[in-house]
Amino acid sequence: MPASPSIWQRLTGENGLQKWGFYVPLIFMVLFFALPVALTLVWSFFERTTFWMEPGFTLFAYESFFTSARAENYLFSMMHSGISVIIAFSLGFPIAVFVRRRVPQVAQHRVILLFILPFMISELVRVFAMRPILGRFGIINNLLMDMRVISEPITSILFSPTAVVIGEVVSFLPFMVFSGFLAMEAVEQYIFDVCDDLGVGRVRTFKDVIVPLAAPGIFAGSVFIFVNGLGVALVPTILGGPGAVNAGLIVNQAIVALDFPLAMATSAIVIFTLVILLYIGHRLFDLTKILQPIS
Amino acid sequence: MNQSEFTRRLFMRSLVGAAGAVALGGIPGLSAAEMEELKFWASGVAKVGGRNWDAMSKNSGVKLAVTTKSARADESIQKMVVGDGNKVFDALTDNGGGMEDALASQKAIVPLDTSKIPNFKNILPVYNEGGAAADTIRHKGKVYAIPYIANADSMAYDFKAIGFHPDSWAVLFDPQFKGRVAMQNDFGPTLTNTAIYLKQSGKVEIGDPSNMEPKEVQAVCQFLIDLKKKGQFRTFWDGFGNGVGILASGEVVLSSCWEPITIIANRKTGDKADIRYGTMKEGHQVWNNVAMLTRGGRQRGKDAAFYKLANLYLSPWFGARTLAGLGFAPQMVGVDAYMKANADAFPAAKQKEANAYLKLKSKRYAIKGNAWQNVFPKNLRAYQDWWARLQAA
Repeated sequence: MPASPSIWQRLTGENGLQKWGFYVPLIFMVLFFALPVALTLVWSFFERTTFWMEPGFTLFAYESFFTSARAENYLFSMMHSGISVIIAFSLGFPIAVFVRRRVPQVAQHRVILLFILPFMISELVRVFAMRPILGRFGIINNLLMDMRVISEPITSILFSPTAVVIGEVVSFLPFMVFSGFLAMEAVEQYIFDVCDDLGVGRVRTFKDVIVPLAAPGIFAGSVFIFVNGLGVALVPTILGGPGAVNAGLIVNQAIVALDFPLAMATSAIVIFTLVILLYIGHRLFDLTKILQPIS
Repeated sequence: MNQSEFTRRLFMRSLVGAAGAVALGGIPGLSAAEMEELKFWASGVAKVGGRNWDAMSKNSGVKLAVTTKSARADESIQKMVVGDGNKVFDALTDNGGGMEDALASQKAIVPLDTSKIPNFKNILPVYNEGGAAADTIRHKGKVYAIPYIANADSMAYDFKAIGFHPDSWAVLFDPQFKGRVAMQNDFGPTLTNTAIYLKQSGKVEIGDPSNMEPKEVQAVCQFLIDLKKKGQFRTFWDGFGNGVGILASGEVVLSSCWEPITIIANRKTGDKADIRYGTMKEGHQVWNNVAMLTRGGRQRGKDAAFYKLANLYLSPWFGARTLAGLGFAPQMVGVDAYMKANADAFPAAKQKEANAYLKLKSKRYAIKGNAWQNVFPKNLRAYQDWWARLQAA
C-alpha cells in the first residue's frame, strides 16, 4: 500500500505549485482589494473621536455626506469626469483607430509609445503647465487678442469647471489611446477590408463595426479616466475655481479635519459608485472580452 | 491681557530689546561626531542657513537628524497621537495654534524645564504675562513649547494695479475687484479673517472669530457664498507656489495670504508689479510656530539635546536671521542690538530692511481685532460642513 503524500509533497508535488499559482491572484485581490474595501466600509460606521475613531455603529458620517453640500460636490465632480471621458473618447479613440489602420504595423507600437512621453513628466508639472496657457495673460488669450478676435482676455477658462475638464483630458487622454489601441489590435485587418469591399462608409464602419468590437477597451479606458477624474485632487486644486473639489479632495478635507469616519464613508460611496459602473459596463460590454482576442 | 497689549509688547520689544542681553550661551564647539543626535520632525521654516540644517546643528551643538514635515496639522496629530511619532521623533514643530494643547492633552509631548534653557529669560515678555500669547506655549499652566517664529496674516495687493494702499478687508469683497481676488483654500484662515472683518465692521455679531459658534460660522460662510455666486473670487489658492503664482501672473490683484508669498511674488514680477502686504484695520489672524519635546524623546533621555536646540531658537542669532531671511517675527528680545553688533552679517541695508519688516509687523500686531489661529475650533464639524457648502456654491 503506497504511503500517503506529505503536506509538503501535496503542496509542491505534481501540479502542486501550479495549483497554488492559481491562487496568487486571488490572494492579491483579497489583500489589496477586498480587505481594504471591507475595512473602509466597517470604519465608515465607526464613531468619531477627537483624534481618531472608535468601534460602534452610526450612520452619522453618511448623514453628514448627504445632508451637507458634499453630495452635490460629488455629483458635480462626476459630471465633470463624465464630460472628460466623452471628450477623451472623441479625441483619443480616433487616434487609436488611425494608428491601427494607417500606420505601418512595425511602427504602430512606437507611435503609441509616444503617448507615454507625457507620463514621464510629473503630473503636477503637467497640470501646472496649463496655467500659463489658459490664464488671463496666457498663451490662448494673448493669441486671440493678437489676432483681434477678442479685445479683453477671456477669464472663464482658467479657474473654472472648463479648466478642470481640460486638465483632466490633457492628463488622462493617453489612457483612452492605450486602451483603444489594445482593443483595436484585437480587430483583424480583414474586417476593415470586408467593410471596404462592401462599400460601407467611414462613419458607419466606425459606428457599427469598430466601436462595438472595441467597446470593452473603450469602456476600460473610460473607467480609468473617470476614476482619476474623481480621485486625483491636483487638477481641481490647481485649475479649478474657488473651492473646486472632487471626491479625492472631499476625502482629503475630511482627513485634515480628523474626521476619519467621514473620509471612509466618502471612499465607500466612491467605491460603490464604481462597482455599479463596472457592473453596468460588464452587462453591456462583457468586460472579460478585454482579455480575449476577437475571433 | 488683551490682544492689543500682546501685539504692542510682542513686537516693539524686539525692536528696542535689551541691548547685549543675549549671547548664544552654551554652544559648545563640538565636532559633529561628538554631538548628541536629536531626531527632529520639523517644517522648513524652523531653520536658518540655506538648504540644510548644518548651521542649526553647529550653533546649537546638537546633531539634528531632521525629517521635513508638511504643513498639515492633521498629519502631525495622527502620527503623534495614534501613530508611531513618539517612537520615531525626539522633538517636533507644530502646524498652527491649538496643536500644542491637543498634543499635550494626549501626552504626546512633555512639559519643559525652562531653567535648563538659558535664553528662556530672553523670550518676549508677553509669553510670561498670561493671556493669549502665553497660552500658546502652555497647557494647564506648564510650558510645553518654545516659540521660534510668529506672524499676523494679512492681505497682499498689487499697488501698481490698484493704485492705493488698502487698509481694510472690505476691498477684498468690493465688487470693483470682482474676479481679481483670491482667498486661501483653507477654512481656518479664510473664515477667521472674514469673521474678523464682519465682526469689526459691525456686519455680524461674532464672539471669538477663532472659535465660532455654528450660527456664526453659517453667517460668515453665507457672506462668502453670496460673493462667490456673484463671481467675486477668482480662485481659492492652495499651497505656497500656487499662492505666489496667482499674484505673480497678474491673475489676481488682491489675495489674503502668507507674507513670504508676497516677498517671493514681488521678486518674480520685478517691475511689472508692486506687490505689498497691508495692515487691515479690522485685524488679522495671528499665529506662532513652536518646537516641542516628545514623550518618546524624554524616554530616550533627549531632554538636554532639546534644551540646546530650544536655547538656539530663543537666541537673537536665530531671530535676526529668520527675520531678515523670511520676514518672520523673532520671539526674543535683543534682535536689534544683535544686528547692530554683527554688522558684518547684517550690513546697514539689511538691518534697515529687517527693521522695516518689524515695523510693519508691529503695526499689524497692534490691531485690536486680531485673533489667534486655532486649528481645532470647538465646532469643527460646523466649519467643515459650511466650508463644503461654500465649495459647492
